[in-house]
Amino acid sequence: MPVNEGFVPKIQVFEPHRASLPPLIPYLREFWTRRAFASELARFGDKAEYLDSRLGKVWLVLNPLLLGMVYYLVVTIIRPGGSVSGMTRLDHLLIGLFTFYFAQNCVTAGALSITSGGRLILNQAFPRALLPFSSAIQSFQQFLPTIPVYIFVLVAGKWAYPTTIVPGWTWNFLWIPFILICTGLTGFGLALVFATLNVYFRDTTKLLTYITRIWMYLSPVLWLPSSLRGNMKILLWINPLGPVLNATSRVWVSGESLTQPIILGCILWAVASIVIGGYFFISRERDFAIRL
Amino acid sequence: MRSASKSPIVMPDDLAIRIENLSITYKVSLEAKRTMKNALMRASLNQKERTRIIEAVKGLTLDVPHGSVLGIVGSNGAGKSTLMRCIAGILSPTEGRVIVNGKISTLLALGVGFNPALSGRDNIILGGLASGLNMDEIAEKTDEIAEFAALPDGFIDLPVRTYSSGMYGRLSFAVAVSMTPDILLLDEALSAGDAAFKEKSFERMRQLCAEARTILIVSHALATVTDLCDTAIWMHKGAMVAKGKPEEIVDGYLKFLNVGSLPSNYEDM
Repeated sequence: MPVNEGFVPKIQVFEPHRASLPPLIPYLREFWTRRAFASELARFGDKAEYLDSRLGKVWLVLNPLLLGMVYYLVVTIIRPGGSVSGMTRLDHLLIGLFTFYFAQNCVTAGALSITSGGRLILNQAFPRALLPFSSAIQSFQQFLPTIPVYIFVLVAGKWAYPTTIVPGWTWNFLWIPFILICTGLTGFGLALVFATLNVYFRDTTKLLTYITRIWMYLSPVLWLPSSLRGNMKILLWINPLGPVLNATSRVWVSGESLTQPIILGCILWAVASIVIGGYFFISRERDFAIRL
Repeated sequence: MRSASKSPIVMPDDLAIRIENLSITYKVSLEAKRTMKNALMRASLNQKERTRIIEAVKGLTLDVPHGSVLGIVGSNGAGKSTLMRCIAGILSPTEGRVIVNGKISTLLALGVGFNPALSGRDNIILGGLASGLNMDEIAEKTDEIAEFAALPDGFIDLPVRTYSSGMYGRLSFAVAVSMTPDILLLDEALSAGDAAFKEKSFERMRQLCAEARTILIVSHALATVTDLCDTAIWMHKGAMVAKGKPEEIVDGYLKFLNVGSLPSNYEDM
């Protein structure tokens, strides 16, 4: 074979597979092989985003913290008192908001990832799902600094108000990685749906602004899961983030373990989002280069 | 991005690319803006979206041997870039198939994928990873790329938005050729840089050919096609009109354009 030394023959065959999935095993293998591309893209995306900002990455912490304060004021003015103490409400609101924003950022940044990566898509062949995946990684990296902020608020709250209930060390905290994985997978799966829609309808991201706002009001962030009565409890299950935010509140704020229905809810929404989003995205991704 | 082939793959060892009866057709919207709002409006009025079918490539069959340099000429809209994207696996065929034997590197539009806020070094890393290299391979090549691109001192660590268009183009070309591809696809990529850089680019491509790597060049600069290529094809409205020696193909193309063969016509047609 008249090819250069060290060349390993690699036959690639490109055939029509319109409106159906490409062979999944090679696709997933290539996705996995190029995972470093997604993580570096996330790292550089983060770097580029905060390059011109004087406060830089401090905004990653300040932004959700300030939002938490704003929502706390809104919630305490609208519905002062209640069955739980103010600090416990603040703790629930903060960790709920941070987790919700992690998922929301996965979706909103992921929705833009294909249209904003147009030139890369027109020049290189790679599994396109790497772009929303990179957005999910970036969202996770932006979520991480909020954890010490939450812990700081928790400790400061206990110091200022000794009656505040703070969970001591418990093995139930081991559920946190599970919650974060489920949140990330659900966010990534939904990002795949909205990234595809945004290629076909360029106003999807505008609509997403309203969807995410309504989504937050319907999620146990500004209200406690235990405050729902009767049929309203269904909100915790029909909302893709309902189970993970319920789990977040239980573990982070109360130090409680997860119940079987909550665990199942988290897993089902994560799997459903990935399967539905993945099918929707991958079956259409060869069309992206034409649409961009 | 391999496909599972239903029919058996017949690929002689000496071929880098086999294109079998390839057709690429796509539908483009004639709407000014494709939005959900417009789609809902149309649905409420029971109207259909105005679309047009584009037959970008029609029934093209072609074999490209290893170690050859194939030039592709044709007017705008001839289907040259669509063909290149299909060979790269970026676009899907509508009919027929493309069989590629080897690792592909592409430079289908100048500076593609570069993030202007990031430094040249950061963009080299991203470009390399997107091409399928690993971090170690990229680290080995970064200095070589910077040297080949002939960037002024220190520019490699400055944001790409501070680069001149020539520096931008040179860096893009340097990244594409440094990936040690088996097949290099270049679409209007040789206009970057001055005469010295152009000569360096030509030299690098000759070196790649000597290593039995295959190069496909789409260019309106016909002198590039006659200087570098050993075979050329002429495409018109999605079909291959002729295939042969570059000089003959270029002459035929110039006669078709009815512009004669003045030296200036070899610059940009």
